[in-house]
Amino acid sequence: MKPWRLWPQRLGGQVTLVLMLAVALEFIGSSILFENSRIYPNRDNQVRRAAEQLVTAGNILENIPAAERPARAAALSNRGGRLVWSPQSALVDRERSAEHKLKDEFRDAEPGLRDRDLHFNAELGHALPRDTHLKVALRLRDGTWLTLKTRIRAAPWAVLLSSVGSAFILGLGVIAAAALVLRNLSRPLRALAEAADKVGQDAHVRIGETGAGDLKLVAKAFNAMQDRIAGLLRARTDALAAVGHDLRTPLARLRLRAGFVKDVEAREALEADVDEMTAMLDSLLAYLGGQEDPEPRRRTDLAALAMTVVDDAVDAGRPAAYDGLDHLPVQARPVSLKRAISNIVENALHYGGEANLTLTREGAAAVLAVEDSGPGIPEAELAEVLQPFHRLDSARARNTAGLGLGLTIVQQILHREGGVLVLKNRPEGGLRVELRLPAL
Amino acid sequence: MATAPLAPTILIVEDDPALRTLLMRLLREEGFQPLSAGHGAEMARLLETNTVDLILLDVMLPGSNGFDLCRAIRRDSEVPIVMLSARDDETDRLIGLELGADDYIGKPFSKKELIARIRAILRRAQGGAQSSQPRGHQQMTFAGWSLDPGRRELLSPDGTFVELSGAEFDLLLAFVTSPQRVIGRERLLEMSRARFSDASDRSIDVLVSRLRRKLAVTGQAEALLRTVRGVGYLFTAAVERR
Repeated sequence: MKPWRLWPQRLGGQVTLVLMLAVALEFIGSSILFENSRIYPNRDNQVRRAAEQLVTAGNILENIPAAERPARAAALSNRGGRLVWSPQSALVDRERSAEHKLKDEFRDAEPGLRDRDLHFNAELGHALPRDTHLKVALRLRDGTWLTLKTRIRAAPWAVLLSSVGSAFILGLGVIAAAALVLRNLSRPLRALAEAADKVGQDAHVRIGETGAGDLKLVAKAFNAMQDRIAGLLRARTDALAAVGHDLRTPLARLRLRAGFVKDVEAREALEADVDEMTAMLDSLLAYLGGQEDPEPRRRTDLAALAMTVVDDAVDAGRPAAYDGLDHLPVQARPVSLKRAISNIVENALHYGGEANLTLTREGAAAVLAVEDSGPGIPEAELAEVLQPFHRLDSARARNTAGLGLGLTIVQQILHREGGVLVLKNRPEGGLRVELRLPAL
Repeated sequence: MATAPLAPTILIVEDDPALRTLLMRLLREEGFQPLSAGHGAEMARLLETNTVDLILLDVMLPGSNGFDLCRAIRRDSEVPIVMLSARDDETDRLIGLELGADDYIGKPFSKKELIARIRAILRRAQGGAQSSQPRGHQQMTFAGWSLDPGRRELLSPDGTFVELSGAEFDLLLAFVTSPQRVIGRERLLEMSRARFSDASDRSIDVLVSRLRRKLAVTGQAEALLRTVRGVGYLFTAAVERR
């Protein structure tokens, strides 16, 4: 920005400067147009001047001897009109409408010409602007004639045109300048709006600190605000995660103590409670730690992951089945992807009574579908169930375990692997959940 | 419970006093001889004066953490180590196993789970089974596949990570450590359940068929794990160790 030192940094300054420039441009432009138009006096003035010249010269010549008249006529000539004295009329009066009109104009301009003999001869020039080449002969009182040859300049159309054109170009220039400045203003504003729209969706959005000074300040403040929000979130997340980890030791004690309880029923209830709390902690930590998962992405067999999840469920005596490809590699973090699959299978078994997994390849996508035959999810709530801590009312009534993070975590995991989660109610009843990932 | 004639000594290294007391009581009830330390220095003192059969090592300790201690112990001892951690994540588990720990248990663990794992590891250490569970990074390859017992990982010929359940991995390890030899169902059952003795009673046949499906590459798996009627199975491929 060094060479633009004079360019103001503030928004107000920029707008003022542009307005000032526009006004100056307009001023200079119109002065030039005005100067131009003064060179071309209008028709009435030209006619009056010519009539005046003719009458004045006539009066002078009438009062001097005939011998001196040619010389004096020449002396009275000027650039606008040439005067010639002659004893007889050298001009035939042509009785056309142009001549009549001019005769009337002459007589209106100079009342002294009303009762005098005038011969007119007007020829329209061929070149543009079509000036009138005029010859007027005045009969002096002694019967001799004084002829004026002059030119009535045509109405300056070209000048008119060029002045309109100039004004138009001037206007365009001002509009263009204003548009440039406005663009300079609106681009950073639009970037800001887009960035603000993206905040909180996933990644950190930084906007370029460009544009007018004030906008630069806005961008800077916006970025700083984001940093603060991210910092706050991180601090909260870290605190929650720390509590989560710290809770594991007392939970470990509780679980071991449960082992010493003699009453079998009480012991089993205690162990179930500890299991439930552990599951909640696990899902909370998975949800919080999702962004900073240190697990590396690697080429992973999606089929083997799905089979392992199904086999575990089968071993626990639950109705799960796997049908599909034996191998289908994807690029993913295997531990978190397995968590996603088992969350979905767990949901299907819990709400849908069974989990039927199919793995297919659809073009470039690996599609792992988990179907159940339960009640499905009301269409209106299909999007909401992905929100963190959201639980369907019917589910809450069943007093289920968990924090309502299961699907949110699955979506988070898939999103990080470049995949999507699709929930559909099956026409024949039950829910179909698709985990779609780019296949390798 | 059939324990060894001499009660095995187990050293607990855990900074939480209540959990330490609980573990002591539990191990004593199960017929072990427990010792306990609250931090690394105390552990070192106890190791000098006692013969220890197994160390239960917490990861989060004041001063030097469990990973540091694990590395230090491994420098001059092969004593089995079981890491206990509040962080149940894969990276920690891998670090622990790569540093030479024999197992890794995430908190909270149940009494049953803990005792089962301790027994399994003691059995492995006693039974001269050192060869069946090679420590460290000794990778094994067969028919293009590679198996890393340290990281408990199986990679397919095209380098894809293939997830195996604990029992499946142990079964495959049993095959790979005794290749081209018929292994009876009883022996396989024993070997594959070494790790999780509380596993449900799925049969070896089910495990083998699951393993075959995961190893299936253009019908090669059937030939890889051949059924020997009425006896058991034969792992046909040659195994290379690296």
